[in-house]
Amino acid sequence: MVMESKRSFILLIAIVSTFAIAPIIAIVFYTFVQDGQLNMEQLQRLFSQNRLWQTLSNSLLLGLFVIIGTTIIAFPMALIRTKTSLAKYNWLDIVLTIPFMTPPYIGSMGWILFMQHNGFLQQLLPSTAWLSELFFKLFGMVLIMSLHLFPFLYLMLKNTLLRINGSFLDAALIFGKGAWRNWFKIVLPLTVSSYVLGSLLIFIKTLAEFGTPATFGSRIGFQVFTTEIHSYLSRWPVDIRMATSLSLFLLSICLIIWYFQNWIGRKYTYGVLSGKTPALREIREPWFIKLGAWLFVTIILLLSIAVPYFSIIVTSLQKVRGDGLQAGNFTLAAYGEIFTAGSAGFTAFMNSFVFSILTAIITAVLGLCIALYVKKGQTKKQQLLDFFSLTPNIIPGIVFVVGLIMFWNSPLLPFTIYNTKAMVVVTYCVLFLPYSVQYTKSAFTQLDASIFQSAAIFGRNKWAVYVQIIIPLLMQGIVAGMMMTFIISMRELVAGLLILPPSVETGATFIYSQFEQGNVSVGMAVAVMTVIITVLFMFLLEWMQRGGKQTNA
Amino acid sequence: MKKSKVLTTAALVLTLALAGCSSKEKEEKSAEAAEPSTTVTVYSAGPDGLAANIQEAFEQQTGIKVEMFQGTTGKILSRLEAEKNNPVADVVVLASVASMDGLKAADQLQSYKEAKNADKINAEWSDAEGYYYGYSASALGIVYNTKNAAEAPKEWADLAQPQWQNKINIPDPSLSGSAVDFLFGYTEADGTAWNTMEQWKSNGLQVNGANKEALDAVITGEKDITIAGVDYMAYKAKASGEPVDIVYPASGTVVSPRAVAIMKESKHVDAAQAYVDFLLSDEGQALVAEAYLLPGNEAIAVKDRATLDEIPQLEVKWQGAEQKQVDVLTKFIELFR
Repeated sequence: MVMESKRSFILLIAIVSTFAIAPIIAIVFYTFVQDGQLNMEQLQRLFSQNRLWQTLSNSLLLGLFVIIGTTIIAFPMALIRTKTSLAKYNWLDIVLTIPFMTPPYIGSMGWILFMQHNGFLQQLLPSTAWLSELFFKLFGMVLIMSLHLFPFLYLMLKNTLLRINGSFLDAALIFGKGAWRNWFKIVLPLTVSSYVLGSLLIFIKTLAEFGTPATFGSRIGFQVFTTEIHSYLSRWPVDIRMATSLSLFLLSICLIIWYFQNWIGRKYTYGVLSGKTPALREIREPWFIKLGAWLFVTIILLLSIAVPYFSIIVTSLQKVRGDGLQAGNFTLAAYGEIFTAGSAGFTAFMNSFVFSILTAIITAVLGLCIALYVKKGQTKKQQLLDFFSLTPNIIPGIVFVVGLIMFWNSPLLPFTIYNTKAMVVVTYCVLFLPYSVQYTKSAFTQLDASIFQSAAIFGRNKWAVYVQIIIPLLMQGIVAGMMMTFIISMRELVAGLLILPPSVETGATFIYSQFEQGNVSVGMAVAVMTVIITVLFMFLLEWMQRGGKQTNA
Repeated sequence: MKKSKVLTTAALVLTLALAGCSSKEKEEKSAEAAEPSTTVTVYSAGPDGLAANIQEAFEQQTGIKVEMFQGTTGKILSRLEAEKNNPVADVVVLASVASMDGLKAADQLQSYKEAKNADKINAEWSDAEGYYYGYSASALGIVYNTKNAAEAPKEWADLAQPQWQNKINIPDPSLSGSAVDFLFGYTEADGTAWNTMEQWKSNGLQVNGANKEALDAVITGEKDITIAGVDYMAYKAKASGEPVDIVYPASGTVVSPRAVAIMKESKHVDAAQAYVDFLLSDEGQALVAEAYLLPGNEAIAVKDRATLDEIPQLEVKWQGAEQKQVDVLTKFIELFR
């Protein structure tokens, strides 16, 4: 009916491919073409490096361990939140997303400050010195990353369990042979596919993560793909070709996993949405289960939120860092410094703020247009556009960033946005477009076909149908996508490190550079500000979604 | 197809906005060619505060606006490499003369022999043909935590002793230009250097990020000692009350000059020259001393730190050292990874 014209397709695909596909082509081009000729030597150079295999095994090992780590946290948590009396505490869900919203490099810095020799833990409890030894190994990194990524898997598992709670369990209760048997024969098999999908997503996210490997990994000498790519680009001696070929390698791995994930999704997904909403039963359980559940939740909250935030806040307040935790060693000087108008920290923070808002607006508009065109993705063109606009989800951010640098530095372009602020916004838009596309698309699928039909009959013209009917109905999804984009853009690190023009810093790069060359306390004060803004937006988002549901009902 | 019209307009606006950002700058640049430049782009390898102070004073004095990119020496060199097709930097400030000499060898710099005050600047740190000037320097020493280290170590080799086991670190030379300078100078001047470094390694030497990260570990007491720590950061931390101090081994250490140069592709040569002049001027040199660095002009008094002749120096020749530095760095990385 609408948005089906050839012109809008060409336009959308042109925008998406300039932003999202061209960078990938630039990487391939730079890797294989030398002086205008096809040259495969680079691949040989890449594969003959021992470090490549070391990096590969490090990355895969890390991904595997993080899957295990997130499972250990997320699975019990999902059970607790669906099967015990804790199911009614919905605020827990917001609190549990805080770890995921915490920028990973800030979280790991918090952990490092807490656990290191003479760190906060040892200042509080000197007898725990042995823990430090244990922590600064691969184990610590897996712990930090699992605590960061578990909300993902948790939400997926919880939603599946909630759905199964409905008619499937009723059927099982009627026809089944006891609770335990039902559990193993029905619930577990039904959760397997969403578990596998969730853990593959965790795997890709782990491979793509830069913050934690860059802060914690470099400390224990554990190099992964992202840090290797970054170091070929930012360390001396520079080897850009090596960075692009490594990016290509990482890209291939992610595409393979993504293909595998799709295959499982098609083959092993069962319809668990039966239309029947689960009856909310009063849950009663023995006291030890209740106690165990609370204990588990408390420990996870302590580890994932309390520890890193304690370190971050204390560090931002310290006067003389060498004096540690001592009465009188606290000051608000770092905050005073960043709140002085024109200070480097404040400017960086405001830059992040502006970039993120621009990104949220642009991706919302693009995402809306794409979602309106793609709809349910029945035609080949729709599927193509859908796939293109979601690629940044599968491909690690650093690969895109490398591609964008290569693309916008190409001598073939008539003009370039490289070294301008526009480059930052474009990069953010490429990286985060999938969020708005997904949010808007899912809002769109909730619209019934009858709305379009009646709109077509009663609407004055197509434009009015959009403005007065469809867009207002999609608004909640659009705004949710914008908030998410904003939150994620506020913390983006690796793009900033590689593409910011002179005189411009973002909050993330400011914090990072304070650790490298500057004043850690001021860096941490900016971190606190970033996190406060993020959490505020999260609560706003939650409040809006709740509000929306009530009016819908 | 009203919708597609709206879309077209939206896309056009977007593209124009993006194009506008860059084409405006291009226009500015071509217009500026004849008249004196109003901006200059500087890529500077720290230290943070100093670069900002210099920028402020320079802007005030000349009215030229400075666009500053700050990063480690490695970051700046890689940025220059990535931007080869669209160079934007006018001035580069690096924390390693050997790298600067490498840029000169790669024909990326232009000479500015007529720089004011050039004759007052330490000739050993500068290029004889005026391609770059060592406007300041830091000396590398043994930085220690005064609470944890009852007695300060005296020599590089001392750090192989068991009392420092797992308590020593070194800045990552692939991030820190001065740390590469140290490795290069130390291994050139002392035949047993690699041997000592292997002993450090078996003594638990940790390679610890850029300069401040390594120093921070000592400030918080996580480590007791930073080997080849940059002295100005240690002096600065000491001045703000942190429990750290620095010693220079009597057998000699490396003084790592920080050099400034004008890029060959610079589009604001006049402004770039003014910036170099300012760094070499007495005012610029005083700002250098204020940041606890060694000024390139020895006549300028230093502040709360050792003067150049108080620091025992290893014999190091920087010119033409880039390839050797790469070799040393590669060997070091292989040793520690």
